Amino acid sequence: MSTRILTEFELLTPKTIPEALDILDEFRDSVTPIAGGTDVLVAMKFGFSTEYAMSISAIPDLDYLSFDPDKGLRIGANTTIAQILDSKAIKQHYSALWQSAKIFATPQIRNSATLLGNLLRASPAGDCSCAIYALGGSIVLASKQGEREVDIDDLWISYQKTERRTDELAIELRVPAPRTGSTSAFKRLTRVNEDLAKLNVAVNLVMDTDRCTDARIAMGCVAPTPIRLRETEKKLIGQELDGTALKRITASVKDEINPIDDQRSTAEYRKSVSGVFLRRAIEQACGLS
Amino acid sequence: MKKHSISLEVNGTAHQLTIQPNKTLLDILRDELNMPETKYGCGTGECGACTVLVDDRKVINSCLTLAATMDGKSITTAAGLQTADGTLHPIQEAFVENAAVQCGYCTPGMVLKSVGLLKNNPNPSEDEIREWLEGNICRCTGYEKIVTAVQLAGKKMAQAGS
Amino acid sequence: MSEFRTVGKSEIKIDVKAKVTGRAVYAADINLPGTLHAKIVRCYEHAHAKVKSLDLSAAAKMPGVVKVFAPGDLTTKFYNQSVIDIMVSKDMRGMLGDIEDQKILTDHVKHYGDGIAAIVATSEEAAERASERIKVEYEPLPVYLNAAESSQEGAVQFTPQKPGNMAFELPEPAFPNNTLGWGDADEGFKEADIIVEDNFYTSKQKQAQMEPNSYIALYDDDGLLSCWTSTQMPKSVQPKIAKLFNLPMSRVRIIQTVVGGGFGARLGMVLEPHICALAMALPGRPIKVQSPREEDWLTSPSRHPGDYWMKMGFKKDGTPVACDAKFVNYKGGYYLDGSGVAFTTGGWVSGLYKFGALRYKGESYFTNQPVCGAYRGYGNPQTNFVLEQLVDRACHELNIDPVEWRKKWHKDVGDDGWCAGVPYASCALDEVLDEGAKAIDWKAKRERYAKQTGVKRRGVGVAVMVHTSGAMPMLLEHTVCSVRLNEDATAVVAFACSDMGQGSHTTLRQIAAETLGFPLEDVSLSVGDSNDAGYDIGAHASRTLYVGGGAVMAACKDALKQLLERAAMLLEANPDDLEIEDKQIFVKGSPDRKVAAAEICSGGVYPFLNPQTGAPESIPGQILGYSSFNPMHNSPPFGACFVELEVDTETGEIKLIEMVNGHDIGRAINPAVVEGQLEGGAQQGLGMALTEELYFDTDGKVLNNSFTDYKMLGPSDMPKITNIIIENPDPHGPFGAKSVGEAGLVAPVGATANAIYNAIGIQITELPITPEKILKALNEKRAN
Repeated sequence: MSTRILTEFELLTPKTIPEALDILDEFRDSVTPIAGGTDVLVAMKFGFSTEYAMSISAIPDLDYLSFDPDKGLRIGANTTIAQILDSKAIKQHYSALWQSAKIFATPQIRNSATLLGNLLRASPAGDCSCAIYALGGSIVLASKQGEREVDIDDLWISYQKTERRTDELAIELRVPAPRTGSTSAFKRLTRVNEDLAKLNVAVNLVMDTDRCTDARIAMGCVAPTPIRLRETEKKLIGQELDGTALKRITASVKDEINPIDDQRSTAEYRKSVSGVFLRRAIEQACGLS
Repeated sequence: MKKHSISLEVNGTAHQLTIQPNKTLLDILRDELNMPETKYGCGTGECGACTVLVDDRKVINSCLTLAATMDGKSITTAAGLQTADGTLHPIQEAFVENAAVQCGYCTPGMVLKSVGLLKNNPNPSEDEIREWLEGNICRCTGYEKIVTAVQLAGKKMAQAGS
Repeated sequence: MSEFRTVGKSEIKIDVKAKVTGRAVYAADINLPGTLHAKIVRCYEHAHAKVKSLDLSAAAKMPGVVKVFAPGDLTTKFYNQSVIDIMVSKDMRGMLGDIEDQKILTDHVKHYGDGIAAIVATSEEAAERASERIKVEYEPLPVYLNAAESSQEGAVQFTPQKPGNMAFELPEPAFPNNTLGWGDADEGFKEADIIVEDNFYTSKQKQAQMEPNSYIALYDDDGLLSCWTSTQMPKSVQPKIAKLFNLPMSRVRIIQTVVGGGFGARLGMVLEPHICALAMALPGRPIKVQSPREEDWLTSPSRHPGDYWMKMGFKKDGTPVACDAKFVNYKGGYYLDGSGVAFTTGGWVSGLYKFGALRYKGESYFTNQPVCGAYRGYGNPQTNFVLEQLVDRACHELNIDPVEWRKKWHKDVGDDGWCAGVPYASCALDEVLDEGAKAIDWKAKRERYAKQTGVKRRGVGVAVMVHTSGAMPMLLEHTVCSVRLNEDATAVVAFACSDMGQGSHTTLRQIAAETLGFPLEDVSLSVGDSNDAGYDIGAHASRTLYVGGGAVMAACKDALKQLLERAAMLLEANPDDLEIEDKQIFVKGSPDRKVAAAEICSGGVYPFLNPQTGAPESIPGQILGYSSFNPMHNSPPFGACFVELEVDTETGEIKLIEMVNGHDIGRAINPAVVEGQLEGGAQQGLGMALTEELYFDTDGKVLNNSFTDYKMLGPSDMPKITNIIIENPDPHGPFGAKSVGEAGLVAPVGATANAIYNAIGIQITELPITPEKILKALNEKRAN
């Protein structure tokens, strides 16, 4: 193991989606798909080995980002975090995603890493994953048998494990069109500005003036995968979101999470700040801060 | 491991290369093309010493890029910013004049990163420069003089361009 | 107008153009024909274990492998990678010198990442693949991660030379009762109106210089062992390698490459013994090793962490009647610098304030952690964190302004310095404090922040420090310099002083040009090869400009004297009546009586014989100035740092707002270089205060030997920085200069802690001061 030398593998570089699906069908669990590669290459330097690596970066059909006010957002598997950041539509309609892209890793990583790659990594700390979880949406998984759409709520099974079968390729992320009155925000805590999150949170609220009519809240680094704070969501719906209400509602966030001690923080700290932090994210989304 | 053939342009020179799949762009630049100005600093995309400019606009970590996936790309390294007659790029000139260099190990990456910024944002604020330079670690300067150099270079380049 | 031509100017640094284009050649960039590649195989299973069996047979059969090495296949002689053993006299060596307790490869693993085998192959990848085939069986041993654990009875012994695993305590003969200080502290405390006392922990910080460790060595056909390295100390590595391999120094050549940062990590040796041993085992082939970044935290020395207890007594008026302190550091698996830091940490206490009495104890204990050694500040940041927080606690209790207290009680000209017997010759700390307080608007902010309410609380804090310029009288200080004048009256200055990026070659060149009275471009340097210049101890203790500068000045004066003596003969004048201006030498007051320096230099190189008389037409002999310089002092620089920050009382997060870093440095030979040292030092000092620490699991495994989890402040984390440089020329330093290399790191540590204290009224006693610790302390305070 060395950060200077990668493990050995055969590299496959399909130029079309059908070619990629043929490869996956043939090699199944002995092939690892790579888009930007920024996570997989680091893993390979720390001992992760795979017989085949399939780079999808030469498939032009997977590089797109489109927004339609009625149908929502569609993002291809080769679309980078930098492209998310460059999208005016995302900045305007999906604040949480744009904010998570803005602080995502470093400019160099943002130029290589893809949004779908971040989701498929199934890391509990993924910033864009947290944002997408709150915004809701689905992943299109393609295989020789056809396509299926997996709701983001069902994507992550456990730590770094997803619903994707080994013969499937994640080709697209779909995020629904923003509803009238919807607003979203993302926040994270780190040791220094350029860092992995020690805690991240994304909120997606539908507001009828000051009253919250719907809510999706995602929190990261507090369980083996990013989680939804479903109890807190229920408490928010129907409430007038003033300072007192927010304090009351967010006080119980700590009971909904199950964080651990790790390199970046402690379970105690994460629990201790989770409520405050969610409150601030909601304030940010609602323009209260 | 089956080798891959790619064409890669580096600092304006075209190369036909046959390479092992597990070689990074950094490996190829340093070991195959004998261009040591691109540095290994951490191998994990944290320090930015390996930064190169792709297709004259996009900065990436060459340590996290499989060289075999770079077919048809054009790469610029710090040495490639200098013109054939030895004239330094305005960013390099600004680093020289503002004492923005100490041990120099981060400098090629830092210079390329700054070029990447000014290509997309010719007149960055101090905060924008500081945020953009995240991902390039310097342990000598406290970043002060680097930030100043980028600011001054930006102004100079904008004046020269207008 | 300045009285100087180049001193005081921010001249462009010597190697900077090669660095911005990437052409500067670091060790990893050197590729000699026929190079083989080495990998040191390390233990990542245990932090403390015996190697029961090591099977290298499968590795040896892998493609590309040239040779594999078990511990017994290379020299098993003990050595010490640092240099304190060669910097102290024979008499002192037994008391203060480093003991030899390291081996190139070991079968007793004393820390995570200890080296157990080596492989040489035709490529780095082949060596890596082969290393995966090594089979090792270990017998695990108990893991000791602090002094209390390793010193308990029955603990496994690290070395028979230090029974009980206490590596060092201040030795009785030189330090009665194993203590350093003066007066009777116990009596002093009886006079105290208030006592402040606490236990602190200071963390294992890493230099994290940007260039990872790479080396090349070649044992050539003539029996010459050459080693290309980025050591800070080529001339100290040379005798160390010669001793380890029983070679005369004439058969060892250390070539210093461009150094990609040091900060102490490259003080002495890291993998030089390994690469040289492999080269000697495979004569005629250059061997190269390029360590991956993750090994840097494990193999090169860090700052000494440890438990630091301190107690101080004060009278109501602020008089500091006594100070009692004890620093127990966790050495790691090997001895290096075990004496040095244990001593200096107390030295920095003794140098700063006029305590009525002081008693300091310093002890080092082996632990199963990667080694500690020199790191910028050498004990001073640890002391700053502890001492300066307790001073502020006392000031708070006594209702005295912390700036005013420091102005009143800091040591001054004539007082004994950090090493007894060397009184301060210059001190401008009052001015530094005044200017700094003005720049940060101290009084107004302290008043304003005393009344604040709300979630986010601002704080402003101050800390002061004293450091050193070179380590005399504790350690030897010596630099040799020679100055050769070419026939066109340009100069080649040769010395072995290291430039690790701090700009010392540039500033030493300025000193040479200034002394000679030559334009800067007429002075070139000969540096880098241990065979090309005389002795220089190496870059440590902020000594390069101060001691190296003294040597350069002396050698240049010697050359100038020779030049003027010859001019005097030609002009039939007294040498004392001559002046040099634009390389013309003339008699003072008679500008027509002159001779060009080039004419004398050329005449020296080409003393043609007159065909008629047979006598030389010019004064023969190329002029060579020389010095073998030992400084008479250590001219300590003083500094005061002010930090302003904001604490988020709901999350414990700290936002750095502003820092004013003021320093009394005697004279700035190159102001841009001085600023660079202060700004870079600040990044490391603030980082030590807030984020930087190497940490372990209970088995001694290092958990954060990567930039992913060893976090340092980035460009967007840094506060606004104002440097205040006070020039109050020191009587001993070259052109009045004192050091600045380490100084900038020190006081930001205490100032940050004190700013937090000012913001929330809580002192955090463990480094680094994380949001986790702050929030916990705030919650405890709220609960009470």
